[in-house]
Amino acid sequence: MAEPRRVAVTGLGVACAIGTDVESFRTSLLAGRGGIAELRSLDTSEMKVGIGGEVEPDFVPAGLKRLRRRPTDRAVDLGIVTAAQALEDAGLIDGAPPYEPQPVAVILGTAVGAAESNTTLQQRFAERGVRGLRPTSVPRVMDNAISGGVSIHFRLTGANYVVISACTSSTNAMGTAYRMVHHGYADTVLTGGADGFFDPFYYGVWNNLGVMSKNPDPARACRPFDAGRDGCVLGEGAGMLVFESWERARARGARIRGEVVGYGESSDASHITSPSAEGQAVAMRAALASAGVEPSDLGAVNAHGTATLANDVCESESIRAVLGAAAERAPVSANKSYFGHTLGASGAIESIAALLGIEQGRLPANLNLENPDPECQVRLVGGDAEALERPFVMKNSFGFGGSNGVLVLGPGE
Amino acid sequence: MNLIGDSLSPMDAEGASEILARLRDVLRDSAVEEHDWDAVVGETPIESLGFDSLTILDVLYDVEEEFGIALDPKQVVKTRTVGEIIALLEQNGA
Repeated sequence: MAEPRRVAVTGLGVACAIGTDVESFRTSLLAGRGGIAELRSLDTSEMKVGIGGEVEPDFVPAGLKRLRRRPTDRAVDLGIVTAAQALEDAGLIDGAPPYEPQPVAVILGTAVGAAESNTTLQQRFAERGVRGLRPTSVPRVMDNAISGGVSIHFRLTGANYVVISACTSSTNAMGTAYRMVHHGYADTVLTGGADGFFDPFYYGVWNNLGVMSKNPDPARACRPFDAGRDGCVLGEGAGMLVFESWERARARGARIRGEVVGYGESSDASHITSPSAEGQAVAMRAALASAGVEPSDLGAVNAHGTATLANDVCESESIRAVLGAAAERAPVSANKSYFGHTLGASGAIESIAALLGIEQGRLPANLNLENPDPECQVRLVGGDAEALERPFVMKNSFGFGGSNGVLVLGPGE
Repeated sequence: MNLIGDSLSPMDAEGASEILARLRDVLRDSAVEEHDWDAVVGETPIESLGFDSLTILDVLYDVEEEFGIALDPKQVVKTRTVGEIIALLEQNGA
Protein backbone atom coordinates (compact mmCIF):
# COMPACT_ATOMS: atom_id res chain seq x y z
CA MET A 1 0.00 0.00 0.00
CA ALA A 2 1.12 3.51 -0.77
CA GLU A 3 2.44 5.81 1.95
CA PRO A 4 -0.31 7.30 4.16
CA ARG A 5 -1.21 10.83 3.13
CA ARG A 6 -1.72 14.00 5.16
CA VAL A 7 -5.37 15.05 5.33
CA ALA A 8 -6.17 18.71 4.75
CA VAL A 9 -9.41 20.47 5.66
CA THR A 10 -10.25 22.76 2.75
CA GLY A 11 -13.92 23.63 3.25
CA LEU A 12 -16.22 24.41 6.17
CA GLY A 13 -19.98 24.92 6.45
CA VAL A 14 -22.06 25.31 9.60
CA ALA A 15 -25.51 26.18 10.89
CA CYS A 16 -26.58 26.13 14.52
CA ALA A 17 -28.12 28.41 17.10
CA ILE A 18 -25.21 30.87 17.12
CA GLY A 19 -24.52 31.21 13.41
CA THR A 20 -25.56 30.21 9.93
CA ASP A 21 -22.17 30.47 8.28
CA VAL A 22 -18.58 30.11 9.41
CA GLU A 23 -18.04 33.82 10.05
CA SER A 24 -21.17 34.40 12.15
CA PHE A 25 -20.39 31.19 14.06
CA ARG A 26 -16.83 32.38 14.73
CA THR A 27 -18.02 35.84 15.77
CA SER A 28 -20.52 34.46 18.28
CA LEU A 29 -17.94 32.12 19.80
CA LEU A 30 -15.36 34.87 20.27
CA ALA A 31 -17.98 37.28 21.62
CA GLY A 32 -19.20 34.70 24.14
CA ARG A 33 -22.72 34.96 22.70
CA GLY A 34 -24.88 31.88 23.24
CA GLY A 35 -28.03 30.92 21.35
CA ILE A 36 -30.15 28.83 23.75
CA ALA A 37 -33.73 30.14 23.98
CA GLU A 38 -37.36 29.14 24.37
CA LEU A 39 -38.31 26.97 21.38
CA ARG A 40 -40.34 28.79 18.71
CA SER A 41 -40.87 25.95 16.25
CA LEU A 42 -42.39 23.46 18.70
CA ASP A 43 -45.26 23.56 21.20
CA THR A 44 -43.74 22.25 24.44
CA SER A 45 -46.65 23.19 26.72
CA GLU A 46 -47.13 19.54 27.74
CA MET A 47 -43.42 18.91 28.30
CA LYS A 48 -41.15 19.47 31.29
CA VAL A 49 -38.63 21.35 29.17
CA GLY A 50 -39.18 23.89 26.40
CA ILE A 51 -35.78 25.30 25.47
CA GLY A 52 -33.16 24.52 22.87
CA GLY A 53 -30.76 25.83 20.28
CA GLU A 54 -32.69 26.62 17.08
CA VAL A 55 -31.26 27.72 13.76
CA GLU A 56 -32.42 31.20 12.70
CA PRO A 57 -35.79 30.55 10.94
CA ASP A 58 -35.13 32.22 7.56
CA PHE A 59 -31.82 30.48 6.94
CA VAL A 60 -32.95 27.11 5.57
CA PRO A 61 -35.73 28.46 3.28
CA ALA A 62 -33.37 31.09 1.83
CA GLY A 63 -30.57 28.55 1.36
CA LEU A 64 -32.85 26.07 -0.37
CA LYS A 65 -34.24 28.75 -2.65
CA ARG A 66 -30.71 29.67 -3.73
CA LEU A 67 -30.08 25.98 -4.48
CA ARG A 68 -33.46 25.70 -6.28
CA ARG A 69 -34.79 23.05 -3.93
CA ARG A 70 -38.06 22.47 -2.12
CA PRO A 71 -37.89 21.55 1.59
CA THR A 72 -37.80 17.77 2.15
CA ASP A 73 -36.86 17.17 5.79
CA ARG A 74 -35.30 19.41 8.44
CA ALA A 75 -32.11 17.38 8.86
CA VAL A 76 -31.71 16.79 5.13
CA ASP A 77 -32.31 20.47 4.40
CA LEU A 78 -29.79 21.57 7.05
CA GLY A 79 -27.31 19.13 5.54
CA ILE A 80 -27.85 20.37 1.99
CA VAL A 81 -27.44 24.08 2.75
CA THR A 82 -24.33 23.61 4.90
CA ALA A 83 -22.85 21.19 2.35
CA ALA A 84 -23.19 24.00 -0.21
CA GLN A 85 -21.24 26.30 2.10
CA ALA A 86 -18.42 23.77 2.59
CA LEU A 87 -18.18 22.87 -1.11
CA GLU A 88 -18.12 26.55 -2.08
CA ASP A 89 -15.54 27.29 0.62
CA ALA A 90 -13.37 24.52 -0.84
CA GLY A 91 -13.83 25.86 -4.35
CA LEU A 92 -15.51 22.65 -5.53
CA ILE A 93 -18.77 24.29 -6.62
CA ASP A 94 -19.65 27.80 -7.63
CA GLY A 95 -23.19 29.07 -7.19
CA ALA A 96 -26.47 27.38 -8.00
CA PRO A 97 -27.08 24.12 -9.91
CA PRO A 98 -26.64 22.48 -12.35
CA TYR A 99 -23.33 21.04 -11.17
CA GLU A 100 -20.80 18.91 -12.99
CA PRO A 101 -20.23 15.41 -11.54
CA GLN A 102 -17.03 15.06 -9.49
CA PRO A 103 -15.46 12.16 -7.60
CA VAL A 104 -16.09 13.36 -4.04
CA ALA A 105 -17.31 10.91 -1.37
CA VAL A 106 -20.07 11.89 1.07
CA ILE A 107 -19.65 10.36 4.54
CA LEU A 108 -22.02 11.93 7.06
CA GLY A 109 -23.19 11.29 10.60
CA THR A 110 -26.67 11.64 12.03
CA ALA A 111 -28.17 10.44 15.29
CA VAL A 112 -31.85 10.40 14.38
CA GLY A 113 -31.81 10.81 10.59
CA ALA A 114 -34.90 12.13 8.86
CA ALA A 115 -36.71 12.84 12.14
CA GLU A 116 -39.27 15.28 10.75
CA SER A 117 -40.27 12.90 7.97
CA ASN A 118 -40.52 10.01 10.42
CA THR A 119 -42.75 11.96 12.77
CA THR A 120 -44.99 13.13 9.92
CA LEU A 121 -45.33 9.58 8.69
CA GLN A 122 -46.12 8.22 12.14
CA GLN A 123 -48.84 10.82 12.56
CA ARG A 124 -50.36 9.99 9.18
CA PHE A 125 -50.20 6.27 9.92
CA ALA A 126 -51.89 6.78 13.31
CA GLU A 127 -54.65 8.83 11.68
CA ARG A 128 -55.25 6.89 8.47
CA GLY A 129 -53.42 3.58 8.61
CA VAL A 130 -51.58 2.31 5.54
CA ARG A 131 -53.58 4.67 3.34
CA GLY A 132 -51.68 7.56 4.99
CA LEU A 133 -48.28 6.43 3.69
CA ARG A 134 -47.27 8.27 0.52
CA PRO A 135 -45.42 6.28 -2.17
CA THR A 136 -42.10 8.04 -1.55
CA SER A 137 -42.17 7.37 2.20
CA VAL A 138 -39.31 4.87 1.98
CA PRO A 139 -36.72 7.25 0.48
CA ARG A 140 -37.96 10.08 2.68
CA VAL A 141 -37.44 8.29 6.01
CA MET A 142 -34.40 6.11 5.30
CA ASP A 143 -31.46 7.00 7.53
CA ASN A 144 -29.18 7.70 4.58
CA ALA A 145 -31.58 10.26 3.10
CA ILE A 146 -29.05 12.95 4.10
CA SER A 147 -25.98 11.55 2.36
CA GLY A 148 -28.03 10.42 -0.63
CA GLY A 149 -29.68 13.83 -0.94
CA VAL A 150 -26.35 15.66 -0.74
CA SER A 151 -24.68 13.32 -3.23
CA ILE A 152 -27.52 13.67 -5.75
CA HIS A 153 -27.96 17.41 -5.42
CA PHE A 154 -24.27 18.24 -5.83
CA ARG A 155 -23.53 15.28 -8.14
CA LEU A 156 -20.77 13.85 -5.93
CA THR A 157 -19.92 10.42 -7.30
CA GLY A 158 -17.69 8.94 -4.57
CA ALA A 159 -19.14 6.60 -1.95
CA ASN A 160 -22.11 7.98 -0.02
CA TYR A 161 -23.32 6.65 3.32
CA VAL A 162 -24.11 7.69 6.85
CA VAL A 163 -22.54 6.55 10.08
CA ILE A 164 -25.00 6.21 12.95
CA SER A 165 -23.66 6.07 16.50
CA ALA A 166 -25.87 8.51 18.44
CA CYS A 167 -23.87 11.53 19.62
CA THR A 168 -20.60 10.18 18.16
CA SER A 169 -22.05 9.88 14.65
CA SER A 170 -20.33 12.75 12.87
CA THR A 171 -17.02 12.18 14.65
CA ASN A 172 -17.09 8.54 13.57
CA ALA A 173 -18.03 9.76 10.07
CA MET A 174 -15.11 12.22 10.04
CA GLY A 175 -12.82 9.46 11.31
CA THR A 176 -13.95 7.23 8.46
CA ALA A 177 -13.44 10.08 5.99
CA TYR A 178 -9.99 10.76 7.44
CA ARG A 179 -8.99 7.13 6.99
CA MET A 180 -10.34 7.05 3.43
CA VAL A 181 -8.14 9.98 2.43
CA HIS A 182 -5.17 9.03 4.64
CA HIS A 183 -4.99 5.53 3.16
CA GLY A 184 -5.74 6.53 -0.41
CA TYR A 185 -9.29 5.20 -0.88
CA ALA A 186 -10.53 8.70 -1.73
CA ASP A 187 -8.90 11.99 -2.64
CA THR A 188 -11.75 14.19 -1.44
CA VAL A 189 -14.56 13.56 1.04
CA LEU A 190 -17.42 15.78 2.14
CA THR A 191 -18.00 14.79 5.76
CA GLY A 192 -19.69 16.03 8.92
CA GLY A 193 -23.25 15.59 10.05
CA ALA A 194 -26.75 16.96 10.51
CA ASP A 195 -29.62 16.54 12.93
CA GLY A 196 -32.94 18.37 13.14
CA PHE A 197 -35.42 16.96 15.66
CA PHE A 198 -37.53 19.76 17.12
CA ASP A 199 -40.74 17.85 16.58
CA PRO A 200 -43.19 16.46 19.16
CA PHE A 201 -41.96 12.88 18.88
CA TYR A 202 -38.17 13.24 19.01
CA TYR A 203 -38.07 16.17 21.42
CA GLY A 204 -40.70 14.29 23.44
CA VAL A 205 -38.61 11.15 23.88
CA TRP A 206 -35.68 13.25 25.11
CA ASN A 207 -38.02 15.16 27.40
CA ASN A 208 -39.13 11.89 28.97
CA LEU A 209 -35.59 10.54 29.27
CA GLY A 210 -35.06 13.14 31.98
CA VAL A 211 -31.52 14.25 31.11
CA MET A 212 -32.38 17.74 29.90
CA SER A 213 -31.80 20.82 32.04
CA LYS A 214 -34.89 22.21 33.77
CA ASN A 215 -33.21 25.54 34.47
CA PRO A 216 -35.91 28.21 33.86
CA ASP A 217 -33.36 30.66 32.40
CA PRO A 218 -32.46 29.45 28.87
CA ALA A 219 -29.25 31.49 28.67
CA ARG A 220 -27.95 29.86 31.87
CA ALA A 221 -29.31 26.35 31.33
CA CYS A 222 -26.37 24.67 29.59
CA ARG A 223 -23.51 24.62 32.12
CA PRO A 224 -20.83 22.04 31.18
CA PHE A 225 -18.45 21.20 34.04
CA ASP A 226 -20.18 23.69 36.37
CA ALA A 227 -21.21 22.45 39.82
CA GLY A 228 -24.70 23.83 39.21
CA ARG A 229 -25.32 21.92 35.95
CA ASP A 230 -28.51 19.89 35.77
CA GLY A 231 -28.51 18.36 32.32
CA CYS A 232 -28.07 18.94 28.61
CA VAL A 233 -29.92 21.29 26.28
CA LEU A 234 -30.73 20.05 22.79
CA GLY A 235 -29.83 21.96 19.65
CA GLU A 236 -30.40 21.43 15.94
CA GLY A 237 -27.74 22.00 13.34
CA ALA A 238 -25.26 20.75 10.82
CA GLY A 239 -21.53 20.94 10.28
CA MET A 240 -19.84 20.05 6.99
CA LEU A 241 -16.13 19.74 6.22
CA VAL A 242 -14.19 18.93 3.07
CA PHE A 243 -11.25 16.59 3.71
CA GLU A 244 -8.76 16.04 0.93
CA SER A 245 -5.24 14.86 0.45
CA TRP A 246 -2.73 17.57 1.27
CA GLU A 247 -1.02 17.10 -2.09
CA ARG A 248 -4.22 17.52 -4.06
CA ALA A 249 -5.21 20.57 -2.04
CA ARG A 250 -1.85 22.20 -2.69
CA ALA A 251 -1.82 21.22 -6.34
CA ARG A 252 -5.12 22.94 -7.01
CA GLY A 253 -4.24 25.96 -4.87
CA ALA A 254 -6.95 25.35 -2.26
CA ARG A 255 -6.87 27.20 1.04
CA ILE A 256 -5.87 24.66 3.69
CA ARG A 257 -7.83 25.62 6.79
CA GLY A 258 -6.55 22.88 9.04
CA GLU A 259 -5.35 19.31 9.23
CA VAL A 260 -6.83 16.11 10.58
CA VAL A 261 -3.78 14.66 12.24
CA GLY A 262 -5.18 11.50 13.80
CA TYR A 263 -8.23 9.53 14.86
CA GLY A 264 -9.11 6.90 17.43
CA GLU A 265 -12.26 5.03 18.36
CA SER A 266 -13.48 2.45 20.84
CA SER A 267 -16.55 0.97 22.46
CA ASP A 268 -17.30 0.99 26.20
CA ALA A 269 -18.96 -2.43 25.88
CA SER A 270 -20.53 -1.84 29.28
CA HIS A 271 -23.82 0.10 29.39
CA ILE A 272 -26.18 1.46 26.73
CA THR A 273 -26.28 4.99 28.22
CA SER A 274 -23.75 5.27 31.08
CA PRO A 275 -20.31 6.35 29.88
CA SER A 276 -17.07 4.59 30.78
CA ALA A 277 -13.86 6.51 31.48
CA GLU A 278 -11.84 3.44 30.50
CA GLY A 279 -13.56 3.17 27.13
CA GLN A 280 -13.13 6.87 26.43
CA ALA A 281 -9.44 6.72 27.36
CA VAL A 282 -8.85 3.91 24.86
CA ALA A 283 -10.17 6.14 22.03
CA MET A 284 -8.14 9.17 23.17
CA ARG A 285 -4.91 7.15 23.38
CA ALA A 286 -5.56 5.64 19.95
CA ALA A 287 -6.14 9.10 18.46
CA LEU A 288 -2.93 10.52 19.93
CA ALA A 289 -0.95 7.47 18.78
CA SER A 290 -2.44 7.76 15.29
CA ALA A 291 -1.48 11.44 15.20
CA GLY A 292 2.00 10.94 16.61
CA VAL A 293 1.14 13.69 19.08
CA GLU A 294 2.20 13.56 22.74
CA PRO A 295 -0.20 14.82 25.43
CA SER A 296 2.28 17.63 26.09
CA ASP A 297 1.84 18.79 22.46
CA LEU A 298 -1.89 19.46 22.95
CA GLY A 299 -3.00 23.07 23.26
CA ALA A 300 -6.56 22.22 24.23
CA VAL A 301 -9.21 19.54 24.51
CA ASN A 302 -12.53 20.22 22.82
CA ALA A 303 -14.74 18.17 25.13
CA HIS A 304 -17.89 16.23 24.47
CA GLY A 305 -19.07 18.21 27.53
CA THR A 306 -22.81 17.56 27.51
CA ALA A 307 -23.45 19.17 30.93
CA THR A 308 -25.13 16.04 32.26
CA LEU A 309 -24.02 15.09 35.76
CA ALA A 310 -22.55 11.77 34.61
CA ASN A 311 -20.78 12.82 31.40
CA ASP A 312 -18.71 15.69 32.69
CA VAL A 313 -17.28 13.80 35.68
CA CYS A 314 -16.55 10.73 33.56
CA GLU A 315 -14.94 12.75 30.75
CA SER A 316 -12.79 14.63 33.27
CA GLU A 317 -11.55 11.29 34.61
CA SER A 318 -10.69 9.98 31.16
CA ILE A 319 -8.92 13.19 30.09
CA ARG A 320 -6.91 13.19 33.31
CA ALA A 321 -6.04 9.51 32.90
CA VAL A 322 -4.75 10.00 29.33
CA LEU A 323 -3.05 13.39 29.61
CA GLY A 324 -1.67 13.07 33.15
CA ALA A 325 0.23 16.20 34.19
CA ALA A 326 -0.16 17.58 30.65
CA ALA A 327 -3.86 18.09 31.43
CA GLU A 328 -2.81 21.27 33.27
CA ARG A 329 -1.50 22.69 29.98
CA ALA A 330 -4.45 21.72 27.78
CA PRO A 331 -7.53 23.73 28.79
CA VAL A 332 -10.91 22.13 28.12
CA SER A 333 -13.46 23.86 25.86
CA ALA A 334 -17.15 22.94 26.04
CA ASN A 335 -18.89 24.46 23.02
CA LYS A 336 -22.33 23.00 23.78
CA SER A 337 -22.75 25.85 26.27
CA TYR A 338 -23.34 28.05 23.16
CA PHE A 339 -25.67 26.05 20.91
CA GLY A 340 -26.71 22.98 22.88
CA HIS A 341 -26.23 19.33 22.11
CA THR A 342 -26.74 18.83 18.41
CA LEU A 343 -26.51 15.04 18.84
CA GLY A 344 -25.12 13.43 15.67
CA ALA A 345 -24.00 16.80 14.30
CA SER A 346 -22.16 17.82 17.47
CA GLY A 347 -18.77 16.36 16.61
CA ALA A 348 -18.71 18.15 13.26
CA ILE A 349 -19.89 21.53 14.53
CA GLU A 350 -17.48 21.42 17.47
CA SER A 351 -14.60 20.30 15.25
CA ILE A 352 -15.25 23.40 13.15
CA ALA A 353 -15.09 25.47 16.36
CA ALA A 354 -11.81 23.75 17.22
CA LEU A 355 -10.34 24.39 13.75
CA LEU A 356 -11.35 28.06 13.94
CA GLY A 357 -9.71 28.20 17.37
CA ILE A 358 -6.49 26.83 15.89
CA GLU A 359 -6.75 29.26 12.95
CA GLN A 360 -7.04 32.31 15.20
CA GLY A 361 -5.00 31.02 18.14
CA ARG A 362 -7.82 31.63 20.61
CA LEU A 363 -10.20 29.44 22.59
CA PRO A 364 -13.71 30.77 23.20
CA ALA A 365 -14.89 31.19 26.79
CA ASN A 366 -16.96 28.43 28.36
CA LEU A 367 -20.38 29.92 29.05
CA ASN A 368 -22.02 29.53 32.47
CA LEU A 369 -18.91 28.11 34.09
CA GLU A 370 -19.31 30.00 37.37
CA ASN A 371 -18.37 27.32 39.90
CA PRO A 372 -16.28 24.56 38.34
CA ASP A 373 -17.33 21.18 39.71
CA PRO A 374 -14.55 20.01 42.06
CA GLU A 375 -15.20 16.48 40.84
CA CYS A 376 -14.10 17.57 37.34
CA GLN A 377 -10.32 17.63 37.78
CA VAL A 378 -9.31 19.22 34.49
CA ARG A 379 -8.17 22.72 33.61
CA LEU A 380 -11.15 24.48 32.04
CA VAL A 381 -11.26 27.55 29.82
CA GLY A 382 -12.96 30.10 32.04
CA GLY A 383 -15.38 32.93 31.43
CA ASP A 384 -13.00 34.75 29.06
CA ALA A 385 -11.50 33.67 25.75
CA GLU A 386 -7.88 32.69 26.10
CA ALA A 387 -4.87 32.11 23.88
CA LEU A 388 -4.22 28.67 22.41
CA GLU A 389 -0.58 28.00 23.31
CA ARG A 390 0.05 24.94 21.10
CA PRO A 391 -1.75 24.27 17.82
CA PHE A 392 -3.04 20.71 18.34
CA VAL A 393 -6.55 20.14 19.70
CA MET A 394 -8.10 16.82 20.70
CA LYS A 395 -11.84 16.60 19.91
CA ASN A 396 -13.88 14.10 21.94
CA SER A 397 -17.30 12.64 21.12
CA PHE A 398 -19.12 9.95 23.09
CA GLY A 399 -22.47 8.40 22.35
CA PHE A 400 -25.22 6.24 23.75
CA GLY A 401 -24.45 2.67 22.82
CA GLY A 402 -20.92 3.17 24.14
CA SER A 403 -19.34 4.53 20.96
CA ASN A 404 -16.31 6.79 21.46
CA GLY A 405 -14.62 8.79 18.68
CA VAL A 406 -11.68 11.16 19.05
CA LEU A 407 -9.99 13.36 16.44
CA VAL A 408 -6.71 15.23 16.71
CA LEU A 409 -6.82 18.46 14.72
CA GLY A 410 -3.96 20.72 13.74
CA PRO A 411 -3.16 23.90 11.83
CA GLY A 412 -3.39 24.51 8.09
CA GLU A 413 -1.14 26.66 5.97
CA MET B 1 -56.50 31.47 -21.14
CA ASN B 2 -56.16 28.39 -23.25
CA LEU B 3 -54.84 25.77 -20.86
CA ILE B 4 -54.88 22.41 -22.51
CA GLY B 5 -55.70 22.89 -26.15
CA ASP B 6 -57.96 24.61 -28.65
CA SER B 7 -60.93 22.32 -28.35
CA LEU B 8 -62.29 23.57 -25.02
CA SER B 9 -65.52 25.51 -24.72
CA PRO B 10 -65.42 28.54 -22.37
CA MET B 11 -67.12 26.45 -19.66
CA ASP B 12 -64.53 23.66 -20.05
CA ALA B 13 -61.76 26.24 -19.83
CA GLU B 14 -63.15 27.59 -16.57
CA GLY B 15 -63.22 24.10 -15.06
CA ALA B 16 -59.72 23.39 -16.32
CA SER B 17 -58.49 26.62 -14.79
CA GLU B 18 -59.76 25.61 -11.37
CA ILE B 19 -58.26 22.14 -11.75
CA LEU B 20 -54.96 23.68 -12.82
CA ALA B 21 -54.85 25.86 -9.70
CA ARG B 22 -55.41 22.83 -7.45
CA LEU B 23 -52.97 20.74 -9.47
CA ARG B 24 -50.26 23.39 -9.10
CA ASP B 25 -50.56 23.07 -5.31
CA VAL B 26 -50.28 19.29 -5.52
CA LEU B 27 -47.23 19.49 -7.79
CA ARG B 28 -45.52 22.04 -5.55
CA ASP B 29 -46.10 19.92 -2.42
CA SER B 30 -44.67 16.81 -4.08
CA ALA B 31 -41.69 18.47 -5.75
CA VAL B 32 -38.04 18.36 -4.77
CA GLU B 33 -36.94 21.16 -7.09
CA GLU B 34 -38.12 24.74 -6.74
CA HIS B 35 -39.94 26.36 -9.67
CA ASP B 36 -42.13 29.33 -10.47
CA TRP B 37 -45.35 27.44 -9.86
CA ASP B 38 -47.53 30.33 -11.07
CA ALA B 39 -45.90 29.91 -14.47
CA VAL B 40 -46.99 26.27 -14.75
CA VAL B 41 -49.58 25.94 -17.56
CA GLY B 42 -51.12 23.12 -19.52
CA GLU B 43 -48.23 22.95 -21.95
CA THR B 44 -45.61 22.62 -19.18
CA PRO B 45 -43.78 19.28 -19.53
CA ILE B 46 -43.95 17.28 -16.28
CA GLU B 47 -40.31 16.29 -16.67
CA SER B 48 -39.27 19.95 -16.65
CA LEU B 49 -40.61 20.20 -13.08
CA GLY B 50 -38.09 17.62 -11.89
CA PHE B 51 -40.47 14.67 -11.44
CA ASP B 52 -39.29 11.20 -12.34
CA SER B 53 -40.86 7.75 -12.37
CA LEU B 54 -40.69 7.58 -8.55
CA THR B 55 -41.69 11.07 -7.51
CA ILE B 56 -44.59 11.15 -9.99
CA LEU B 57 -46.14 8.44 -7.79
CA ASP B 58 -46.49 11.01 -4.99
CA VAL B 59 -48.24 13.30 -7.46
CA LEU B 60 -50.62 10.48 -8.37
CA TYR B 61 -51.26 9.79 -4.69
CA ASP B 62 -51.79 13.45 -3.82
CA VAL B 63 -53.99 14.03 -6.88
CA GLU B 64 -56.24 11.21 -5.74
CA GLU B 65 -56.35 12.73 -2.24
CA GLU B 66 -57.08 16.23 -3.53
CA PHE B 67 -59.69 15.31 -6.11
CA GLY B 68 -61.16 12.24 -4.40
CA ILE B 69 -60.86 10.05 -7.49
CA ALA B 70 -58.67 7.09 -8.36
CA LEU B 71 -56.57 7.31 -11.53
CA ASP B 72 -55.03 4.41 -13.42
CA PRO B 73 -51.23 4.59 -12.80
CA LYS B 74 -50.61 3.24 -16.33
CA GLN B 75 -52.43 6.22 -17.77
CA VAL B 76 -50.71 8.69 -15.43
CA VAL B 77 -47.19 7.57 -16.35
CA LYS B 78 -48.06 8.10 -20.02
CA THR B 79 -48.86 11.80 -19.46
CA ARG B 80 -46.20 14.19 -20.68
CA THR B 81 -47.68 17.57 -19.82
CA VAL B 82 -49.65 19.15 -17.01
CA GLY B 83 -52.55 19.59 -19.45
CA GLU B 84 -52.64 15.85 -20.08
CA ILE B 85 -53.06 15.23 -16.34
CA ILE B 86 -55.88 17.76 -16.29
CA ALA B 87 -57.53 16.00 -19.22
CA LEU B 88 -57.21 12.70 -17.39
CA LEU B 89 -58.77 14.21 -14.28
CA GLU B 90 -61.65 15.58 -16.30
CA GLN B 91 -62.22 12.22 -17.98
CA ASN B 92 -62.49 10.70 -14.51
CA GLY B 93 -65.04 13.20 -13.29
CA ALA B 94 -62.96 15.89 -11.58
